[in-house]
Amino acid sequence: MSNEHTVKSYEEELRYLIDSVIKMGSLTESQLVDSMDAVIKVDKDSIDKIIKSDDEINKFRSKIDTQIMTLLVKRAPMAIDLRETISSLKISQDLERIGDLSKSNAKKVKPLPLDLPEELLGNLKRLGELVIKQLNDVLDSYVNKNYDKAKEVWEKDEQVDDLTYIAMESVIDFLSKDKKNLDFSTHLIFATKNLERAGDHITNIAESICFLIKGEYLKGSRPKGKVIQQ
Amino acid sequence: MNEIKIKSKNLNVYYGEKQALFDVNLDLNEKEVTALIGPSGCGKSTFIRCINRMNDVIDICKVSGNIEIDGVEINDKNLDVVSLRERVGMVFQKPNPFPKSIYDNISYGPKIHGKGETKSELDEIVENSLKKAALWEEVKDRLDEPGTGLSGGQQQRLCIARAISVNPEVILMDEPCSALDPIATAKIEELIDELKKTYTIVIVTHSMAQAVRVSQKTGFFHLGKLIEVGKTEKIFKNPDNKMTQDYITGRFG
Repeated sequence: MSNEHTVKSYEEELRYLIDSVIKMGSLTESQLVDSMDAVIKVDKDSIDKIIKSDDEINKFRSKIDTQIMTLLVKRAPMAIDLRETISSLKISQDLERIGDLSKSNAKKVKPLPLDLPEELLGNLKRLGELVIKQLNDVLDSYVNKNYDKAKEVWEKDEQVDDLTYIAMESVIDFLSKDKKNLDFSTHLIFATKNLERAGDHITNIAESICFLIKGEYLKGSRPKGKVIQQ
Repeated sequence: MNEIKIKSKNLNVYYGEKQALFDVNLDLNEKEVTALIGPSGCGKSTFIRCINRMNDVIDICKVSGNIEIDGVEINDKNLDVVSLRERVGMVFQKPNPFPKSIYDNISYGPKIHGKGETKSELDEIVENSLKKAALWEEVKDRLDEPGTGLSGGQQQRLCIARAISVNPEVILMDEPCSALDPIATAKIEELIDELKKTYTIVIVTHSMAQAVRVSQKTGFFHLGKLIEVGKTEKIFKNPDNKMTQDYITGRFG
């Protein structure tokens, strides 16, 4: 934003809203990192903590909703302020969904055996790292209002799709070796799919940031990887 | 987009030494509402007063440049100003009905412009004008009562009916709702929406929300200059000019 508002409290309310989105984003990122860690290490002790952190994220979402409604009623924001307000609403929705997906992945750790083979988790780990990096980058682009970086994240989702495909293949390969693996393999397939869906929410956030900065939506369709084309 | 009804080209206005408008180039479309916004003293009222040559009545005021209505220059010295003002009606910030009956407020204009020669013709004009101004139902049984006895919102609609009574092509509105409560304002805005089907409307307003609600095109003035003009939706969602953005978001120093 450029100059400050003549009404200082308006300035503070907008700043407070943006800060809330940033804090919610950072909480969502930590939760995603923790849930990925729990899956890869099959760390059953951390499940409850991750589930609990989702409550915190949901509380942020309600708080942001209230802030937005107050802003709309009190200030009738225009132009950049309107876009800032609407983007906050959309970004917080996507963050909340990413939180739900992280929670869902944490829950999938429970039925996993502790001795999962390394080759099974390798691709899932790489996918998780990429999605975490994507979330980190998109939040950075929000904080710094960096259009190019947000667009880069949007384009890079193709890699998330490709890695999802590869990770799915390795789980299916493993499953085909022994039908006894069916139960936990299914959980791993869902966990993989959840990461891919988190990636989609990250691209939504990138779109919201681009709209916030330039006032127009990204044109054309996003490059898509293998999983989506199936 | 509708055809251009009013075109200003390099319009400059001076009040004595002080220049009030600088090279304003602005096209106003037919049967559309154009909103003019900007801080007090920015020249938006001066601009609309050029459209019906109201500035002629100010001795120290000088106008240069062009304003065309339907391609005809209206700053021409030989132009009949009375017939211009018949074509371009005006509604002011404060409702200003004549100290006459409701009926006479409406019939006065047509009479002096030689319209409505018989009583029944005048009756018809009065009824139609009041209907178009959405006031007929409220006053039809008391047309002989003084216009000044109506509520503020009704008085303003009476003034709109008075402007309509001579069958103009353009209606200029200078902050028509600033003295009205929200209900009266809503009625006027509803009326503007209806009137734009017949008339070209230019409204000066300090309410951003009102500009968004009623207009299709918005022009932003600052210190006598037209800074930006465009589709209302674009101006209020994503203006091109930083000054416009600063003004509409309340960041003006």
